[in-house]
Amino acid sequence: MAAYALRRLAALVPLVFGVTAITFALLVLAPGDPVTFLIPPEQRGAADLAAMRHELGLDRPPPVQYVSMMRDLVTGRLRSFGDRRPTLARVGEALPVTLILTAASMALTLALAIPIALVAALRPYSLVDHGATLFSLLGISLPSFWFGLGLIYVFTEQLAWLPATGIRPTGATGYNPLVIAPYLLMPTIVQALSILPVMVRYARSSLLDQLAQEYVRVARSKGLRERTILRRHIARNALVPVVTVTALLVPFLLSGSVVVETTFALPGLGQLAVNAALARDYPIVLTTTAIAGVLVVAGNLAADIGYFYLDPRIRDG
Amino acid sequence: MDSRAPSTPERQPRTGRRGPWHRFARNPRALAGAALLAAFFGVALAAPRLAPYPADAPHLLATLHPPDRAYLLGTDNLGRDILSRVLAASRVTLAIGILSMLVSLVAGILIGALAGYAGGQVDAALMRLTDVVLAVPVFFLTVAFLALFGPSIPGLICIIGLTAWPPTARLVRAEVLALRHRDFVSAATAVGASGGRIIVRHLLPNVVAVIAISATLRVGLAILTEAGLSFLGLGVQPPAPSWGNIIADGRAYLGIAWWVSCFPGLCIFLAVMAFNLVGDGLRDAFDPRLVV
Repeated sequence: MAAYALRRLAALVPLVFGVTAITFALLVLAPGDPVTFLIPPEQRGAADLAAMRHELGLDRPPPVQYVSMMRDLVTGRLRSFGDRRPTLARVGEALPVTLILTAASMALTLALAIPIALVAALRPYSLVDHGATLFSLLGISLPSFWFGLGLIYVFTEQLAWLPATGIRPTGATGYNPLVIAPYLLMPTIVQALSILPVMVRYARSSLLDQLAQEYVRVARSKGLRERTILRRHIARNALVPVVTVTALLVPFLLSGSVVVETTFALPGLGQLAVNAALARDYPIVLTTTAIAGVLVVAGNLAADIGYFYLDPRIRDG
Repeated sequence: MDSRAPSTPERQPRTGRRGPWHRFARNPRALAGAALLAAFFGVALAAPRLAPYPADAPHLLATLHPPDRAYLLGTDNLGRDILSRVLAASRVTLAIGILSMLVSLVAGILIGALAGYAGGQVDAALMRLTDVVLAVPVFFLTVAFLALFGPSIPGLICIIGLTAWPPTARLVRAEVLALRHRDFVSAATAVGASGGRIIVRHLLPNVVAVIAISATLRVGLAILTEAGLSFLGLGVQPPAPSWGNIIADGRAYLGIAWWVSCFPGLCIFLAVMAFNLVGDGLRDAFDPRLVV
């Protein structure tokens, strides 16, 4: 397993370099000179612009810039064009917000999807099953940012129960769960609802597949209690596809975080990436892109480890 | 739809009623979706006639005016009539949704058919590319692209289309793989048909149903993507209205003027749901085992 995990991690290297190289090519090809975002127009003499360009290394050929930025990124010396702080420090501030939001939405999705799918699968074509199907349809058709604004309207504007912007009160620091929970509740619900329909659909069909298997009939004919059959036999088999979908939904959640972080003004990775692209802050854009690639691979790796524990055939085979 | 169907009514056999279109017509949810879709297209086509005011006309004495008889859906902070803006936006949004679906369809069909037909290393390389596009958080790339090159409607259509092709490519490849060794393909090869001709004349017509189902569902997704990008300020640019950017306009006034953001969002929700209902209905009618 350790060797396998290492091999998977090694596959990360070409992915990160590929994605960052494409991003850097986009940055260089795009109109807009980074230095014009850094110097106010009234101070923009040609000499100032050239000096700034030289200072940032932008007077070198693009491939040289890319290689030097990636080297600095790996060694942690890469600094933002804007505030000149190390990009890893900037990303380090934003990443926990996105990670906590993603993990919380995934946990909420699983906590809701598995019971819903179970009830729907045990009574296919019942009222509950049809209700779940209808709910899925509503869920996939709902624009997440509009749903988020709806929540803000009710719970912030009308009831004043929950804060609508930021991750913590002004002045507070850190990620104390009790302090940040009210801030993350609405974004988490929005993110979870966007993936819940997919999760329910997969979990339901996976459970239905397992329920139709011979071993279930054998277990029933042995006189095992339905509860035992579900827990000891069906659950572990049915969870394997659920784990796969969980990993596949990580990039989807990261994509969604861009919109959700804007809706709730959360200072996460999505916000950082959008603002950096708008300001042509090459180092920040490269760092956020690289981190997003790492997160996707980490999600897949976590799924593999999940299979390993769930399915002895994978573990021993 | 079937050109070989008997044209005279009395020759229509009773068993013919069990065809896929009959199943579609018997499905109330699919019909509801089709009706909703027809309504959206009808309204979008007639939008200039239906709109009570020009979409960007400011009524400065009636800013943030709540819905009433003069302004059925209220006005925004510049006093522009929300109903007129929502109507004008329906054309923009539906056009972007459909055109970007076409872009993704063409890319998906080309890549999927080529991979399925050529097989071997071409197949492996193209499917690897498909996996990568599916694994990358494409919305980050889309946002970066639009932030860097500046938002434009053609740019939007291309970038939404070019990041949405992998599922279509997979479907088409799977269908082509299943058909590739059938006798009619061997026969076409034997009489000397070229690879391109076999794909276009013999393989693609057999995957039309799958493509149509996937395309319908894709339009819904494309509309959601466009709305999200316009909400971020990277999609359709003001003063041109799109449902997403009207919602963004209303965001600052949510507490005092809910109607600005509410109605365009409702339109997105209903339009996407209509495409999903029709797509699901087509799938159930033509190929219930299909996972799109």
